[in-house]
Amino acid sequence: MRSRLPPLAAVALLLLSACRDPKIASYRVPKEKDPVMPAATSTASTPATPTPASPGASMANSAHTTPDGPGLIWSAPAHWTAKPASAMRKASYAISGEAGATADFSITAFPGDVGGDLANVNRWRGQIQLAPLAAAELATATTHVDSNNLHLTVADFTGGTPAAPLRVLGAIIPVNGATWFFKLSGPAPLVAREQAAFAAFLQTVRAAGATP
Amino acid sequence: MNEVTRQFRDFFVSLKLTIVLLALSIILIFAATVDQVNLGIWAVQQKYFHSLFVLWRVGDIPVPVFPGGYLIGGFLLINLISAQVYRFKLSAKKSGIWLTHVGLIILLIGELLTGLWQEEFALRLDEGQSKNYSESYRFNELAVTETTDAAFDDVVVIPEKILARGEAIQHAKLPFRIVPKLYYPNATIPENDSKAPTPSHATKGIGLQVGVVPLPLTYKQDERNLPAAYVELVGADGLIGTWLVYANPGMPPQRFEYAGRSWKIALRYERNYKPFSLTLLKFSNDRYAGTAIPKNYSSRIRLNTPEGRDDREVLIYMNNPLRYAGLTFYQASFDGPKTTILQVVRNPSWQMPYIACTLMTLGLLIQFGIHLVAFIARRRKIAAVAA
Repeated sequence: MRSRLPPLAAVALLLLSACRDPKIASYRVPKEKDPVMPAATSTASTPATPTPASPGASMANSAHTTPDGPGLIWSAPAHWTAKPASAMRKASYAISGEAGATADFSITAFPGDVGGDLANVNRWRGQIQLAPLAAAELATATTHVDSNNLHLTVADFTGGTPAAPLRVLGAIIPVNGATWFFKLSGPAPLVAREQAAFAAFLQTVRAAGATP
Repeated sequence: MNEVTRQFRDFFVSLKLTIVLLALSIILIFAATVDQVNLGIWAVQQKYFHSLFVLWRVGDIPVPVFPGGYLIGGFLLINLISAQVYRFKLSAKKSGIWLTHVGLIILLIGELLTGLWQEEFALRLDEGQSKNYSESYRFNELAVTETTDAAFDDVVVIPEKILARGEAIQHAKLPFRIVPKLYYPNATIPENDSKAPTPSHATKGIGLQVGVVPLPLTYKQDERNLPAAYVELVGADGLIGTWLVYANPGMPPQRFEYAGRSWKIALRYERNYKPFSLTLLKFSNDRYAGTAIPKNYSSRIRLNTPEGRDDREVLIYMNNPLRYAGLTFYQASFDGPKTTILQVVRNPSWQMPYIACTLMTLGLLIQFGIHLVAFIARRRKIAAVAA
């Protein structure tokens, strides 16, 4: 009788089809930068080559002042590319998406309340072809967040046209008699992709000299 | 050989079985191709080909309705091997057929091993960026990292499947328990234009500002499910806080302090670390003149190992992958002008289809060659007789 080994080996091979059983693992890795938002503490010890996104990282923790007093500091996501600041802008970043889409992130600061939240929110709405809000609607159209001893009024609007929807994510922060504006605007899909990064960015904003 | 064994053997050696299995394969491939519209290629592969049975759910009970790829392929393999052993006699005249069948057996075994062993990851690099890990296309993990040490991070990773079970997780390296409270296999941060903010259950971190809502699972080839979860960390003195973790790459790790040590927590794409690192030196993206159609794209990479055994530049472009340490790095995609996406594949059995095809080609050449020689010899004989 011939050997039955080959068919049996084939059956054994077939039964090998066990699934991967997930397991909790632990390991040690050299200190690494956060993929999106490198904090000052980790960049200092990471021997990585500077990346093109590092201009954003190098903006981290650089204080910006208003005419009325000390300003704010922040850490920008690594993939936001810093643009040169201008007379109007404290800082400016470009965010690129797919198929050449770009979004703009700007940080501006002016003395006083610059007309109040309603006027500024309506200015943003006008930029994406939305009708202005009435004063009574402002409270439901914005959210309020307290972070790092700052009070943030956060807005999120989608406008533009059905073919080319635009979106604005903005935060207004009053600091020492001045008002700071953080605005992310661009094509709605790209801004949606960056929403978590924007929220995380706002968490890093704090008064110069304040502890993180 | 007793009667039962003989019947068993005859069943597997039978040519009828081969025909039935081939017919079942055709139906399986047709059904899978049609269903690809609904499920996408990855889910179709899992459901129809990398399974013993195609299952339909009746209520909560999975009911097998058709043999899956592993079962049909397995039976074909057994059928071929049995036929090879019991039916085909190895002789010079049949050596071509014999070799062709050996090639086919190797092809089937190769496909099985590929299904079992192949791993695919993506490596996304910005120009100037170095990485010593790649990330899974489909799987995610909760990473809790102690960042107290100035030189190293100690990472505990919990696969998404374990997180999804919702059971409390205790690990020897963590001074707290992780209790998943809510888990969404796919989620998004909704627009809250003129509406009340999405409720968030988080008491710490980014979840204080944003909430998530569940989405239906996507099976599209160009989309990925992004899970989210609310996780509680519970220390010896009680609740430390509840964090929203979300596998969106835009969501950075969230840092906190506990027991005098620094930590960060993130739900991220599952990582596969390697004993070497790759740095993207330059990404080039050529387009056809006057169009946005990519003509050629390539990545100039620096490969180096920590101990300095390897430190060299390589150019990866379409159809010219880098093969290193059992991995193959293909130029797969890009994101913007300065970001490359490489596909990283580990397939220990990658050579088997090449060997199989070579053997089958050789076998067919020999078999047809033998027939050709015999045919020519016969014609010459007839011609000689006629003359």
